[in-house]
Amino acid sequence: MLKINNLRASVEDKPILNGLSLEVNAGEVHAVMGPNGSGKSTLANVLAGRDQYEVTAGSVVFKDMDLLELEPEIRAREGLFLAFQYPVEIPGVSNVHMLKAALNSRRIHQGQKELDAVSFLKLIKEKAERVGMKQEFLYRAVNEGFSGGEKKRNEVLQMSLFEPSLSVLDETDSGLDIDALKIVAAGINSQRSPERAMLVVTHYQRLLDYISPDFVHVLAHGKIIRSGGKELAEELEERGYGWIEEHA
Amino acid sequence: MDGSKNMPEPSGIGHDPQLQPYLDLHDKARGALPGERLEWHSIWRHGSMRRLADQGFPTTRDEEWRYTPLRPVLSKQFTPRQAHDEKAACAAERLESAHCAVVFVDGVLQDPISSDESVPGIRIQPIAALLERDPDCLRPYLGKSSEGPAHAFSLINNALFRDGLVIEIEPDVDCDKTVELIFVSQTGQTLVLPRIVVLSRAGSSARIVERHIGDMNPGCLTCGVNEIYLEKGARLKYHLVESASDNAYQVLGNWAYLSQDSRLDFHTVTTGGALVRNDLVVDLQEPGAQCNIRGAYCLSGRQHVDNFTTVIHSAPHCSSNEHYKGVLDQRSRAVFHGRVRVAPDAQQTDARQANNTLLLSSDAEIDTKPQLEIYADDVKCSHGATVGSLDEQAMFYLKTRGIDSDSARSMLIRAFVDEILDAAEAGAVQQHVKTLVDDKMSSFRNQQRSGRQS
Repeated sequence: MLKINNLRASVEDKPILNGLSLEVNAGEVHAVMGPNGSGKSTLANVLAGRDQYEVTAGSVVFKDMDLLELEPEIRAREGLFLAFQYPVEIPGVSNVHMLKAALNSRRIHQGQKELDAVSFLKLIKEKAERVGMKQEFLYRAVNEGFSGGEKKRNEVLQMSLFEPSLSVLDETDSGLDIDALKIVAAGINSQRSPERAMLVVTHYQRLLDYISPDFVHVLAHGKIIRSGGKELAEELEERGYGWIEEHA
Repeated sequence: MDGSKNMPEPSGIGHDPQLQPYLDLHDKARGALPGERLEWHSIWRHGSMRRLADQGFPTTRDEEWRYTPLRPVLSKQFTPRQAHDEKAACAAERLESAHCAVVFVDGVLQDPISSDESVPGIRIQPIAALLERDPDCLRPYLGKSSEGPAHAFSLINNALFRDGLVIEIEPDVDCDKTVELIFVSQTGQTLVLPRIVVLSRAGSSARIVERHIGDMNPGCLTCGVNEIYLEKGARLKYHLVESASDNAYQVLGNWAYLSQDSRLDFHTVTTGGALVRNDLVVDLQEPGAQCNIRGAYCLSGRQHVDNFTTVIHSAPHCSSNEHYKGVLDQRSRAVFHGRVRVAPDAQQTDARQANNTLLLSSDAEIDTKPQLEIYADDVKCSHGATVGSLDEQAMFYLKTRGIDSDSARSMLIRAFVDEILDAAEAGAVQQHVKTLVDDKMSSFRNQQRSGRQS
């Protein structure tokens, strides 16, 4: 599904990723952990296609396509979803309007018929209920005035609506209290399936208590320095990132 | 200024050469203008031309015109039309909701205003006919706008106008109907001089939409003057929609006088015109009067739009709320000047003002200037201005949802201006201005594309 090979990227001429390689197959959940500044968010943003990040070397193949050649919206329509660490507030654009435009852009891209307003509303209300989002949030401006938990829930709602083949979750646990974390994790877990993969980027192990990853990778100085099973995350929690950097 | 009273009739000699064409027009039209046989009217008309000759055209050294150079307008010659081409009338499509539409082509009133278009409780009369038939009823209203300092273009209108309307909403008429005034420009180099007097009688309520439209033409100049009177408890919604061709010059003056407990909603939307100047003066003359002013401008190319508003709180317990928002692309330029004057005894005034502009290009420019003159001490006055660009974070967020750049951009622009467009009640007017803004945005995109290709 996703094959990252020797990826190097910089922001404002400062190298952040220094030869990162990673392979994710359908059905797998990978966690990428690392201390602040290790390049976790850069990885997520490069995958989604943010302008400010310049790829200087390496390749990313997503479903047999050269991902780096695609515009962010095409990546999204092809099934890559980035759940933001800090979902953006967009005053004046109603959530339901944005969601409908987004879903239909995918449907058109995939050669399906656009959903009309009635069928869309039926679908989105169902999905919202499933992720525990109150209907009023559909009619409010995108993320505007949402609490941290509500914003993340809105991201999970979109995952559930778009059914992406690869979801990249950027620090989804940041800013969440334990109850919100559980709800968000449950939402994510409900979407695990043999066809879909997830890349969970996180600083802390606590999210991994609820989303049990198949693989854990430790990122430091823009490279994966160690990979293992979920027990690696537990070890990190106990001994800290210093330990692993020393032993890298 | 000295000696102006003793000056002979304007002959043009020694004046600013830019004035000469207008002095010539005046000489030519003399004696044949509506109402000229009335002494008071004739004195006013000729006096206006004399004032123009004295004061000349403003320059960017005048504070009120500092950001709006008039060279493009003054370097050209314009002529008023007295008849029009028949085929033009069909160009004007009325809004769906309009119960009555009055069409002017190149400034000439399309006759007659047929009776089946009359709205019960609203009398719409051609101003020229009324000046012949019953001039005294107009005397208290016509020309009040130029009692104080008047700008050159309203003086031209005073001196030279032929066509226009007097719209009277009878007392206590609650009219849900829309009266629509459509100004179509089709002939180049035309001088259009509409004169509108609106009399909202006590307790009445009505809605008027004034639209300026026109195809591509070599440019005409519209100098319009509207004088609007709201009697006690009257309500008026006035929509000014400017979507003339990108060659058109428009200088429109709107003067509104509000009596006790009356309320004016004045909405301006500008998408067309090469150079547009809208003067809006609202005088809150008696306690309890209120005005809500909303304006939106969406510009591209080298369009220049100047909104100059003056709200005068003459009486206590009045409120004004003013908000203009604009989107500027390419090399377009906008000016917002918001003057608020609170008279010494206008206590308990509540005056608010805001201007927000979105710049889509580094070559676009906004000059925004609040000007608060407060002579009372128990007042609430606020003003604020912001200038920004499209939120890149929001753009990226929308794209990662699968929404393409063009749609994302439109969504964000519409979200920005909708706050103003939504101030028009849901219905045909709101729909119309939203369509205008959408069309303008798609033209932004097309211009960008062809710009990239070239």
